[in-house]
Parts: sequence; structure tokens; C-alpha cells
Amino acid sequence: MEPIVPFTLLLVVFVAFIVMIPGYTSIPQLQQLMRSFPEQGFVAMAMAVSILSGGLDLSVGAVFAMADFLTLYFLMVLEWPLPLTIVAVMGWGALIGAINGGLIAYAKTRPFLTTMVVLIILRAAYNKITGQYAVELAGASSDNAAWDYLGGGFLFGIPINMVCLLVVGIVAHFYLTRIRSGVHIMAVGSSRKAARHAGIDVKWSLFMAYVLSGMMASLAGILYAARQNSAGTDTGVGWEVNALAAAVLGGISLSGGRGTISRALMGAAIIFLLINGLVQLGTHGSLTTAIIGAILLAAVAFNVKFVKNKGKLLQKIYVTPSLVEFEPPASIARDSGTVFAENDRLKNAEAIALDKIEGPEDIILDEHDHLYTVNRNGSIIRFLAPDYEVREEFARIGGRPLGMALDRDKNILVCVAGMGVYGVKPDRTVFKVTDETNRTWYRFKDDSRLWLADDLDVAPDGKIYFSDATTRYDLSDWALDGFEGRGNGRIVCHDPATGKTSTVLSNLAFPNGVCVSHDGRSVLWVSTWLCRIYRYWIAGEKAGQLELLVDNLPGYPDNVNRASDGTYWLAFVGLRSPVYDLAMADPAFRTRMVKQIPPDEWMCPGINNGCVIKFDDTGRVLESWWDPGGRSHPTITSMREHKGYLYIGGLENNRIGRVKLPNGDVNWTGWKSYWSSNGQNNSGVAPSNVRPITTAKAKHVSGA
Amino acid sequence: MAADPRAELLQKFEKAVKGKTVAWVPVWMGVLEGEWTRVMKAHFDDYGIKMVTRDPNMKSDVQLQAVSSLINEKPDVLIVQNPTTTLLARELKRAMDAGIKVIQVNMASNQLTDAYVGADVPKLGRMLAGEVIKACGGGKGSGKISILQGEATAAYSLDMVKAAMEVFKTDPSIKIVSSQPTNWDANKASDITTNVLQQNPDLCGIFSVWGPQTVGAAQVVKNAGKKGEVKIFVASDGQPADCDMVDQGLFTKNLSYRADTQGEAIANAVLTLLQDNRPAGTTQLAYYTTNYWVSSKDDRQYCFVVPKE
Repeated sequence: MEPIVPFTLLLVVFVAFIVMIPGYTSIPQLQQLMRSFPEQGFVAMAMAVSILSGGLDLSVGAVFAMADFLTLYFLMVLEWPLPLTIVAVMGWGALIGAINGGLIAYAKTRPFLTTMVVLIILRAAYNKITGQYAVELAGASSDNAAWDYLGGGFLFGIPINMVCLLVVGIVAHFYLTRIRSGVHIMAVGSSRKAARHAGIDVKWSLFMAYVLSGMMASLAGILYAARQNSAGTDTGVGWEVNALAAAVLGGISLSGGRGTISRALMGAAIIFLLINGLVQLGTHGSLTTAIIGAILLAAVAFNVKFVKNKGKLLQKIYVTPSLVEFEPPASIARDSGTVFAENDRLKNAEAIALDKIEGPEDIILDEHDHLYTVNRNGSIIRFLAPDYEVREEFARIGGRPLGMALDRDKNILVCVAGMGVYGVKPDRTVFKVTDETNRTWYRFKDDSRLWLADDLDVAPDGKIYFSDATTRYDLSDWALDGFEGRGNGRIVCHDPATGKTSTVLSNLAFPNGVCVSHDGRSVLWVSTWLCRIYRYWIAGEKAGQLELLVDNLPGYPDNVNRASDGTYWLAFVGLRSPVYDLAMADPAFRTRMVKQIPPDEWMCPGINNGCVIKFDDTGRVLESWWDPGGRSHPTITSMREHKGYLYIGGLENNRIGRVKLPNGDVNWTGWKSYWSSNGQNNSGVAPSNVRPITTAKAKHVSGA
Repeated sequence: MAADPRAELLQKFEKAVKGKTVAWVPVWMGVLEGEWTRVMKAHFDDYGIKMVTRDPNMKSDVQLQAVSSLINEKPDVLIVQNPTTTLLARELKRAMDAGIKVIQVNMASNQLTDAYVGADVPKLGRMLAGEVIKACGGGKGSGKISILQGEATAAYSLDMVKAAMEVFKTDPSIKIVSSQPTNWDANKASDITTNVLQQNPDLCGIFSVWGPQTVGAAQVVKNAGKKGEVKIFVASDGQPADCDMVDQGLFTKNLSYRADTQGEAIANAVLTLLQDNRPAGTTQLAYYTTNYWVSSKDDRQYCFVVPKE
């Protein structure tokens, strides 16, 4: 989100100079700009790495200047070959970085003072040495084609030093966001304590950050030497301040851990373009300096204000509603005669665990009829058969456990919002199944983390399919995601055999309930905000295909679970209403609502009802069970059939409901249905009224 | 129609210079550079020559950028003052290759260009060193001399000190106790001189390549109660403050190369190059300016006067 601020500023500055300076966009002029910028970019990057690690490296300007001198000295006075010179100078940068890092990480000195002392020492040494060799250097020159190319060459019309900057910048960006040791640097910068608790070698990460910083500054020195061929006394003077300013302008948090390489470069580019442009306009030098100072002051002030009000601003612009057009659904009126017609079949559900449970989003029963459910505080709670009076904390995981499933080994697998997928063995030991999926390579934002793992099921081959309902909101704001109606979620598959997790379907509008079909060849999953049930084939000739099974449900579907007669149960977490449907068809209206009134006054799906429906493999809805007005069971998120009874769970409820099923198979249990040899109920119904969706389109199932 | 040869000459002149563009990149816009700029501008306005100025404010990387950008803009003449011998060398060659005639002012680079306008720097060094020897050499006083350089890698400072050293070598009684760059900064000169005086209370003379930076050294000498004892010799562009220093006896002698007349010399070099049809890079003209000793109030005419705005 935030890179937009420096990026806009950069564009504004650039466009302003295009307007003011004739010929500003001519090719040679643009090449000139690109040729002049990289060294400052590198020094800003060096500074950024140190800031991101939670510290500061004030020595970058001096390291840069010294590298500039050393390059010239090795190459022209000692007449070393160029490759050796480059290696030696990079080594120099690493050495100073190691001194900085060693003191800061291992001797626990303060970054500010440490690097400032190093800056002073290096600067003094630089002045002394350049004075010493001034005469030699002033008359020296190198006739070396590679050297000249480094200083003035082009690659595809782009100056070679700019090419270096782009390459190193991209590598550095990937390093800090995708490579373990780089991510560790960011983690240490974000929170040293948390990083240590997570088992990161904090000292080593800090040390590495300064070594990298020193090396980047040195690389800048080498390129600068090639381009300028001079080690003047003002080389690098004040560059650390400019680099710091670039970081601030780019919106990199000085407290560490927040920001990116690209932002540092944007900040540096803004400062560079300003100075360059003002000089080209013929501004008096002191005025140029004053203008830069004023702009930086404004940037710092803006930063302070921005950070303070970021929450408010985000709330206003983060939610970006999209268009979802519904047709009117089947009627739910009591006298309508539809399959959805309201009735009283759940009204007299018996209450289990009344006031002994908080938010049993999902329930599951094992072969001994014990009842397991999830609790708001991050535990799995067990109520013992037969009367479910005895309550015990079966396992404690943390996070917010939601959907559950039993695997072949009778482990309880559970989706935990904010954490991922975990498991609890029968002996109560908790293990992690997965907490990440593969990262989308073309996205800047790291989407490998699981945000809101919601429900899961296990296929016959042991693969675990689960829904990550949204990657934009936390559980506490799940309704906001509905407000967007966007494809923010995904279906993810974890294969215990290989330990690999990968996203199988993405851009889904709040994928919620997941259930492996009775024949084990497909995964049924629902899109809550689109009021649809989908079937994703995982075996047979249609493997990998996605089909829309049921469209236009009158409620918002949640969990799906098997029924004893070869059909499926589905919970409605809320009911659609004409007004809400209308709002979903008008994103502009919803945008205004989000901006103009506080969240507690926004429209919300109707969750004060209780309804469970049954549907079959052909997509036919067979019956519905209601608790009118949701007096005992509002916001039903899950239901499980077990030995002739239906157990009901709800995200916000204080009880688990139980009703006797008139036609329920009294011997049927979920575990048997999945894992005992005769449990496979191949009803063999050929789906007829489903429309297949091509794989290409399946990648983007949204409200359109 | 009988041609009027004098009118023709003017016509030829105007055709060559009118509407041409001159770009000027000093190291910064100090008093000296301001005087050059003022004189040049007065002349160029008179001839109808357009002048663009870029002020890098003592930042060598910005100066390099400014020169590089100007090359793309293709002025007819580019005038530069080089902060060091190497910084702009490559770009000056590139400018000439691009057909821009290049004039270097007072501070040259390793790259020779169409014209050099400014002091004959080694000569300044020799003249000043000669005065120093007159005052401190041959057994007069301790013979201890402190040299205040400018920017160590600037041609002006480099060449002047080099030439002076050759002169100093001719007198074995002269001892150079310190030779350090001040980077044109009076504060630094004051620090250096403080240390030199502490280590050599019997210092005889200070040789400084530029007036303004020497103010700091002169103050230290004065505060140490050695005004007049330690002789101070400076080369200078003749800015008023340097003459004031001589008036007050803080400088012993000031060798002025007169920025005002230099400004005129630059303007003349521009006129020469504009009227010369040969391409850029063919000539290597030199316009060495004349130096004047300022030893007392009577020599005030060798310092210029900054006009009131």
C-alpha cells in the first residue's frame, strides 16, 4: 500500500521537470540521469539494509568514498588488474561492515554511535590518504577498455552502472523478501525479541546486514571511480545524510523491519532528481540546498502524521468493494413450498455443553462417540460420551481453531486462523501440518502465509485440501471480506507424503467449507459470498477441473459435511436479503458506506438465523432444517451427522445442538465413511445438471 | 551598392555571436565566481549572447551531472571551472566531440580544450615563493614555512605548490614544516595553523594558494600575538576582503590575479571561439591573466569592487 506515496512523489517531481526543463525527456538526457543516479542509489540501499535490520549505518558515505579512492589507487597507482581491484575493494567494504556488525551485534554497541565513529575515522583517513596521493592520482589514468566500459558503457541503451543497480536492487529485494537469511534480517528489524523466540540467530543476522551494507557502499565506490576518475575531498561527504533522507522519503520506518529496497531507491531517486533538476534550472546552489532541506522536513512531518493516522486512512481505503450481481434466490417463506421454506425442525434441538464452550465453529465425533469441538481461546475441547457432561481440554494449539477433520490414523486435523493447519494425535500431542503455501512468484506481496485457514478435509490418498478464506483480512474482520466480495481466498492442498503445500485454486471469493465427496474423486467447496457450491475434481478423467455445482443459494454457505445417505449437509452462516444483494451489486455505494460511516453501522449479512440444508452429488437441494430467528442456533457454521443424530456448531454460540434424524443411519460415523473399507459409499450418481468451468476460468472464479 | 567595410565587419561579428548560447558551470557561486559571472553576463548581454549558469554548490558529483546534462543541450560554448584535474576531463572531451567549444577557467583539468583562461598558476607559485624567500630565506628568521594548499587534487593548488616547491628547494635555509590541503575552507586553515604554530612557535612564513581560506590562518597568527612576525603570502582573485586583510596587516602580501579582468578575458575567449569557424577541439588557446602585487592600501585598485545590487 504505502509505496504509492513515494512513487507518486517521484512521478510528480519527474513530471514537473518535464514541464519546466526543455528536452528533459530526450534520450541522451534520460541516459544521463540514469548514468548519474546509481551510486547514490547503492548508498541509499546500503543505508536501507541497515535500517531494516533495526539499526543504522552512518558510515556508508565514508565507506563509499574510501572505496572510490582504493579503486583508483589499486588500478592506477599499483596497476592491479581490474577484477582483482574489484574483489579487493568489495573485500574492503565487507571488512568495514564486519567491524560495524561485529561491534553492534556481538559487542552490543549502539548502531548510531558505532557507525558515526567509524564514519569519522574513515573520513579522516580518507582526507589524509587522498592528500598523500593527490598528485599521483591527479596525473594518473588507466587505458583499460573494461574500465572505460564500466564508467561510460551502455547495455541496450541503459548505462552499465544503472544495469548494475537494477540487477543488485532486484537481487536485494528478493534476498530480503524470499531468501531465509534476508528474511531473518527483516524479522530482526521488526522485533528482535520475537525473532529470538522464533529461533533466529539475531546476532548473525545483524552482523550480515552491516556486511551487506558495507559491500553495497563499496560497489557504489567502484562504479563512481570508474565514472568520475577522481577522489575529491568532497566525495561521499554528506551522502549518509542523503541516504537517510532517501529512506525517510521512501517511507522506510526508522524503527526497523518495515520497508523495501524499492522504496529506498524511490526515495533516493526523488532527492537525486530534485537536485539535478534544480541545478539544471539554474537555481543558486544555496537555494537548491534549502529547497531539499524543506522537502525533507515536510517528508518527515508527513511520515509522522501518516504513521499516526495510517489506521484510519487504511480503514477508509483498504476495503475495495467489487461488483457481485445476484439473481433473486428461491424463496424461504414458510408458505412458499420451496425446499428452502422455513420450518421448525431445529427449534427443539437439545443443547449440549451449554455455556461450557465459546464459539464451537466446528464439531467432530470419533469412533468412541466422544465429541470434539474448537474453542475461542485456541483449544480443542472434548466432551466425553455418552452424556457429554464431562468437559476437558483435549489439546491447546493457540490461534483460533476452526474446521476439523479426522485422518486415517485418527488424528484430528484442524484449521487454525492466523496460523495454518495443525494436527492433534490421539495421545494429545500437537503437530504442525503446514503454515504456508507456495508463493506467487510475480507478486510483490508475500502470499505464502496462511491468513485464515477455515475448513479442511482429507482425500483417500491422504492429501489434505483446505480453504484459506481470505488473504486480506483477519478472522475478526471476516465480514469485511464479504463486503468486498472479491476473490481474496484460495484452496490449498498439503501432501503429507512429500510435506509439500501448494495452492490449487486461487482468487476465490471466501472459500469456506471443504468436503471430499463420497466417492473420493472430487472436493466440494463453497464460496460464502457468492452463495455457491463448487466441485473440484481430484481424480479420474476430470482431475483438475472445476465445476459449479449449486448456484444462487438463499443463504451464505459455510461448512459442508457428509451425510449418512450419500448426500451432504451444508450450514448457512447467514441469510441473503434483497437489500444486501442490491448493495453487493453497487460497489460505489459500498465504498461510500465504508468511507463515511463507522464500521459498526455498516450493513452486514443477516446472521441471526439458523439453517442447515442437505444436497446431493447432482447439486439438488433436498431439504432444509431451520431454527427460525436463530434463538438457540444463530450463525450455524457446521453440522456433523453421527449415529442417527445431527450435531450443530456455531461460530459465536455458547452451546452445541443435537437433533435426532428421522432417517439417519444409526451405525454411520464420519470416520468410517472415510476410512473403513466398506465405508466408501459409491452412490454412483452421475452429475447431470452441472456446468463445467474451464481451468483457465477456474483460476479466477469471482462474482462476475 | 558599395559595401561599407566597417559595417560588414560588424555584420560578420553579429552573425557569429548573436543568439549563441554559452553555458557556465563554476564549482559554486562564491565571491570570485560571482564576479566572473557578473562581468561575463554584462558583456554577453551586450553582444546578444545567451548565458546559462549551473551552480553545483561545491558538490563534485552534481557538477559532473550538470556538465553531462549541458552536453545534451548543445550550447555553443561550455565554460567550466574544474574542482579537480580529473573530475570533468572525460566529459570535456565528450563535449568537444559533440561540437561544443570548451573554455576552462583558472582551474584546469588534465584534458586540454579549446581555450584556457586564467592565471599562469606555476608563475603565481614562483612569484609568491620568491617573496617568501625574500622574507624568510637566506638565514632571515627560522626559515620555517607552512604551506596551505587548496583542494589537493585541484590543478590550481597542485601546480602552484609544485612550482613553489621548486623555488623553495633553491634555498636550503627554507624548511617546509607543513603542507596541507584546506579544501578552500578558512576553518580548516585555522585548525592547521593552530597546530603548526604550537609545534613551531618560530614559524616564519605562511604560503597560501588562495586568499579567502587564509583568513582563518591569519586570525590564528593574530591571536597568537604573532601578527607581523609570521609573514603571510597569498595568491588571490582580488576579492575586496583580501585587500582588507592587507590593509589590516593580516596578510603580508597578496598576489591578485583580478577576477574582474579575468571575466573580461573569458568573454574575449568566447568571442574568439565563436568567430573561429574551425570545429571544436582544433585550437588550444591560452589567455593567461596578469598578476598584481597588493602590499598596502595604495594597491587597492587591484582588487575589484562588488557592485551593490
